Amino acid sequence: MKSRSLAATLAASTALVLAGSLSACSGGSGTDGKAVLEFQTAQSVDSPVYAQLEAITAAFEEENPDVDIDLKTGADDYEPQMKVRLAARNAPDIWATHGWSLLRYSQFLAPLQDEPWAENFDDVLEPVMKNDSGEFFALPVTTSASGLIYNRTVLEDAGVDPAGLTSWDALADAAEAVKANGVVPFSLAGSKDGSAGNLVDWIAPGGFTDDELAKMSDGEFQEDAYADLLGVLADMKTDGWTNVDYTSATGDDMARSLAEGTSAFALSTNALVTLAWTYNPDADLSYMPVPPLDGGDPYLIGGEDTAFGVAKDGDNVEIAKEYLAFLAQPENASALAAAVGNPPGLTNAEPDLGALTDPFEQYVASGTVPLEPFFDRVYLPNGMWDSVVTTADGVLAAQSTPAEGAAKMAGDFDTLFSQSSN
Amino acid sequence: MNAVLSRRAVGLAVGAFVLLVVVIQLLPFYVALTTSLKPKTDLSSQWSFPLSEPFWGNFVTAVTDGGILRAMGNSVLVASVSTVLVCVIGAFAAYPLARRPTAYNRGILAINVGLMMVPALSILVPLYSMLAQMGALNTYWGVILVMVATSLPISIFLYASFMRSLPISVEEAAMIDGANIFQTLWLVVIPMLKPVTATVGILTGVGVWNEYALSGYILTSPETRTIAPAIASFFSMQSSNLPAAAAASLLAVIPVVIAYLFLQKYFVRGLVGAEK
Amino acid sequence: MTTDVLDTAPPRSVPPAAPPPRRRSGRFRGASINLLALPALLLFAVFTIYPLISGVAISFSDWDGYSADSNPVGGANYLRLFTDDTFRAVLITTFIYGIGSTVVQQVLGLGLALALDGKLAGRGVARAIIYLPVLVSPIVMGTFYYLLFQYNTGAFNDVVVAFGGERQAWLSTQGGGVTIILAVNSIQFVGTSMIIYLAGLQGIAPEYIEAAILDGANAGQRFRHVVLPLLQPAFATSVVLNLIGGLKLFDVIQVLTGGGPGTSTSSVSTLIGRTYFDAQSAGYSAAMGVALFFIIAVLTILANGALNRRRLEQQ
Repeated sequence: MKSRSLAATLAASTALVLAGSLSACSGGSGTDGKAVLEFQTAQSVDSPVYAQLEAITAAFEEENPDVDIDLKTGADDYEPQMKVRLAARNAPDIWATHGWSLLRYSQFLAPLQDEPWAENFDDVLEPVMKNDSGEFFALPVTTSASGLIYNRTVLEDAGVDPAGLTSWDALADAAEAVKANGVVPFSLAGSKDGSAGNLVDWIAPGGFTDDELAKMSDGEFQEDAYADLLGVLADMKTDGWTNVDYTSATGDDMARSLAEGTSAFALSTNALVTLAWTYNPDADLSYMPVPPLDGGDPYLIGGEDTAFGVAKDGDNVEIAKEYLAFLAQPENASALAAAVGNPPGLTNAEPDLGALTDPFEQYVASGTVPLEPFFDRVYLPNGMWDSVVTTADGVLAAQSTPAEGAAKMAGDFDTLFSQSSN
Repeated sequence: MNAVLSRRAVGLAVGAFVLLVVVIQLLPFYVALTTSLKPKTDLSSQWSFPLSEPFWGNFVTAVTDGGILRAMGNSVLVASVSTVLVCVIGAFAAYPLARRPTAYNRGILAINVGLMMVPALSILVPLYSMLAQMGALNTYWGVILVMVATSLPISIFLYASFMRSLPISVEEAAMIDGANIFQTLWLVVIPMLKPVTATVGILTGVGVWNEYALSGYILTSPETRTIAPAIASFFSMQSSNLPAAAAASLLAVIPVVIAYLFLQKYFVRGLVGAEK
Repeated sequence: MTTDVLDTAPPRSVPPAAPPPRRRSGRFRGASINLLALPALLLFAVFTIYPLISGVAISFSDWDGYSADSNPVGGANYLRLFTDDTFRAVLITTFIYGIGSTVVQQVLGLGLALALDGKLAGRGVARAIIYLPVLVSPIVMGTFYYLLFQYNTGAFNDVVVAFGGERQAWLSTQGGGVTIILAVNSIQFVGTSMIIYLAGLQGIAPEYIEAAILDGANAGQRFRHVVLPLLQPAFATSVVLNLIGGLKLFDVIQVLTGGGPGTSTSSVSTLIGRTYFDAQSAGYSAAMGVALFFIIAVLTILANGALNRRRLEQQ
């Protein structure tokens, strides 16, 4: 009897200790009557975009003293973080959609086409950000208008004129010339940054006929054409066009290699150029339209870039929309776009492309170069991005053949297409 | 003569072996130090220190933008409370499991071993959902409860193995002398647990201090987040600031090293059971 | 070897003359002392077992890991495991990590403990430095090591180039990646094994060694027949901790290779993460987690049983 009561006392006292630690430190906020909105920015803590958001948010809070916008930084596991939060029905009030406002996040986001700033939505973004009924789900801070990034100094040293690179054959000659000069033609990052998938998105527009694309949209995967596309990647690998540390290289390694001139080209968004300049501000970097595989016209790759959406089930949807409208004011939208380093996604914002102004004026603002959407977002069902990355990575790492990669793509395509259409 | 020579040779070989391991262990810290003392634009070799004077900007970034000092404070709080709770709850739980090997308790012990193997990812989403409903996200108590629950299995395993190796006769003698089970625990068993408590304490403390797989999700606000999530905020999807992350990491190591140096002699002695 | 010697190790405790312990005693039969385990069991129930069971439920569905749609698929995810070549290959790599790091850490850890148990100059400093990496999170240590192994700018390639060699893509082959990941994990946590063995060594009562010397045993014999058997409990603890650590390896792989080339340096843990978040197959990922849990549990129970049997046989 004695021992039982003692054991019970012990158990109870442990529970007390636990309860004490429970009540001693409860966090949370919103106790002073303020509306607290959480904004997941996906930016690292020391990035220029985050600094700009902090400044604009401070101005917004000054105008709206009852509102507290809680800015959150994002680490490189932002995607898992968001998925876990969505799964737990604990979404932030506002979050960065990093290219996925329509396909992945639209089921959780409030449609924004009736917002006052919606009339300034840049039509370029329509194929990737609007659904069939004309709804869109994020404020487009910037558009991604990207092409073939190059280091001009490296090309000049190899005797290559960038202006002449208008076909894949010309690019092939340039790559051989660069390689003969001891420089790696293409910089790629195999370690978790999806650069193999970017490679596919960037060259795919020249790899399919209109007929094949139409069939893909209808749910009929074009396995042979896709195998040919992966064959281009396999050739890049066997011809020695890619960096030997492809597997372990990170996005930072890619950027630094371009900045130091140990590689010549990269197929990526222009954020890579901005990153490269943090290593070497004097590197002579620029971009040009992508030379097409099929002998057509060179093109740029465009689509959703930095964009922010509002949770439709949040407690403060209206305030969140007001905040987005504040971000959408021309001077704020311009400042944010400048911090990102890409063209703004709203037509009434002023572009400030900094050192990339020349190619922007030449290719984007002039409207002479066709802008192709991200291939996987438009022609593949939701969930295929990982298959694109995995199969391209397998080919680039010489772990699988183009035919094997295309077969895996076909299998995943059929599974996911039937899932997304029912 | 020969024996002396060979003994000296063995001594030299042992010394060289230890020195080699020491150098290997210091290498990554050396590279982290040179990296953290150079601006991102300094592309010189990782072997070299900055040519002119050290660049402290990365440490400033780590402290101001990264809030690394606040994070260290949070880590001290979370790690110390968790460690104490793990030692107390673990020792209590291990006692019946070690001393009363019924089928029920053997089953509990087997489940306990199973729990040691659970990968964090296998419980992440349901756990996160539950914490969100409890309002436990971004709170000290939420992360402490999770850290305690996930650290307990190893602690119980170690305590139980250790207790089984203790002679039960001392406890029996105490009982025969009229002590109740609480007095027996307090006066006889717990003093004998010092060595294993040192092991459990160090393993738990260090484990919680560095935990990221779960706390990276539970703690996202700068007010409550611990070291590992704070360092991770220098790596975003678009870019990473390695020099600042290295500076933050080096700062974060300092308190643990100081604690370790302080506790070192108690540590090994405690593991061994110093009371003669 | 007498029974009580083996039973009283790990650390030194009772003198050899103590009466042999009796395992069962009427005093300790009262079920009420089970209540002492209650706080721990409550914590387990809420924070690990409940989420774990929810996770098992996910493994019987085709959930994508974030949306509201989820359909039951029965045992399809488990059947898929048996035909998945990637999973099988990754499982083998995982065992290489687990068993490889365990072996390396026992050999190195015991070697270091023996070396630093003696009167070596500066042994306190050496112990502290060897233990230092244990104090740093694996993700940070992995990043530091990545700096060393980088291709264009890494410290190791600087040395190779300085000696007239060619830069090496250390991490870009399967063999290189697996070896380096295994080595980095082993060397980071060798301090844990060292400390456990050091404690074991210092717990050996000098009388045993003296007795062996009187019996005319040389150093090698003393180590084999006196020291090693007395280290058995330290060995068991160290092996279990290292094996779990190696089999659950995650952070170091993410930082050093991201699991590539292909999936050739992935562990089951990284594959689980990738399947869950990137491939958006939460159901299949959960099935992998369940499988890993059972595989590791069975292995550890077998290893534990083998160790205990050896102990019993030696008595």
